[in-house]
Amino acid sequence: MAGLTVSPSYAANDTEIYVVQGLPGKDLDVAVDGESVADGVKTAKVAGPIKVKPGKRKVTFSENGTTVLENTFSIKEGSKADVVAHLPASSSGDPLVTVYKYDDVKVPNGKALLVVSHVAAVPPADIRVNDQVLFANIANGESLQLMVPVATYKVSIVPTGENKPVFFGPVSLTVKGKAINRVYAVGDPEKKTMNVAVHVLAATTTGSGKPSEVNTGTGGQAVGKGPSLEVNLAR
Amino acid sequence: MTRSAWQSRIRRTQRRRPGLRHSVVGALCLLTLLSGCTAHASSDTSSGGDAPRGQSSAAPARLGRPAASQRVEFIPERLILPGHAGAAVLPAGTVDGVLRVPENVQHVGWWDGSARAGEPFGATVIAGHIDSATEGIGFFVRLRKIKVGDTITLRADSHWLKYRVTSVRKIPKKALATDNQALKQKGPHRLVLITCTGNFHRDRGGYDSNLVVVGRPLGLAH
Repeated sequence: MAGLTVSPSYAANDTEIYVVQGLPGKDLDVAVDGESVADGVKTAKVAGPIKVKPGKRKVTFSENGTTVLENTFSIKEGSKADVVAHLPASSSGDPLVTVYKYDDVKVPNGKALLVVSHVAAVPPADIRVNDQVLFANIANGESLQLMVPVATYKVSIVPTGENKPVFFGPVSLTVKGKAINRVYAVGDPEKKTMNVAVHVLAATTTGSGKPSEVNTGTGGQAVGKGPSLEVNLAR
Repeated sequence: MTRSAWQSRIRRTQRRRPGLRHSVVGALCLLTLLSGCTAHASSDTSSGGDAPRGQSSAAPARLGRPAASQRVEFIPERLILPGHAGAAVLPAGTVDGVLRVPENVQHVGWWDGSARAGEPFGATVIAGHIDSATEGIGFFVRLRKIKVGDTITLRADSHWLKYRVTSVRKIPKKALATDNQALKQKGPHRLVLITCTGNFHRDRGGYDSNLVVVGRPLGLAH
């Protein structure tokens, strides 16, 4: 249900949502169109997949029977979406629901699609990966994606164009291969509740393996034509 | 006050006074609680349909969107060498350990397991014939003239990325697979062009070495 377990690959034609709980200090019950779909989802956890009917749906987040958030969203047949309950950019604002829709993406062997989303109580931020800004100037409600090799990365979140204050991290994040790694920055640094929710979905793989040989000359006509490599290297 | 009057008042208030959102959400929650009974009562009898129940008081959720700084990453379709010499780039797969570059020697092949242009890590690998027994001299004979500092451009549709050549090396064919630059998908992004060079052994059907050109991206892809 949660964290780093890899969800099943995209099932053809299934219309599905996952619920991401980005509100600190709450265990939330989730209902779709009034019917319970998940109970007691803890902060930074992901619940799903939850099959839903295509069209306009209503999601309700509640705690101890009291509605915390309730919003509608539209979803097309066969589509997937992460439905995220989270804090706004300003910690004095009200929580909200943001729906991130996505399609299947082909991922080569040994690589991972890394999608980061900012749903935390911080202003626009840079996400530094191995001390390099890989995701720049991302605001609450936005996301950015990159294809990366499978590895463990050192990740931190800082204000756009700055090195400090560090809103979050650095933490080590190991991305899963042949998968879409959806990472949500949640919480509020002022209340020391920053965290990440990670949703990993198996992806369709693409591409072939690493060659051991590249044979690109079978005629020999190029021998003695044009400048030789040795001359070229000497220049 | 009727519910619709409440709602239109809430909507007007939201437009005028975004600062009042707290109390508006409180009012929405109250409406939700009131309508919740109806929704639960009907859920037992209804088998469900396209019309969601009891959502009249709920506002649409915000839609997540890509940030403006989203990087462009693209599968190269055209390669341009110095002197405006261009070639079509076609995807090339590895079969039995051998990269199958396009038969047409005027085309070159992008290894379909390598990085797309503009990715933050890994080599974008493009290989092509220097010559072929059946088709003669190939497009990549031009790599013999490439030198450090030259600019190479990759394109696809409206996307493009320029690279500056940082090294030109001749390496034994058997050393290609373990070369630190040529095929590795880790480390900083780079463009790697590969063809054949060295001594031609007609009895073995080919050259004994690979020519490996490495270029670093000049900024991000467009």
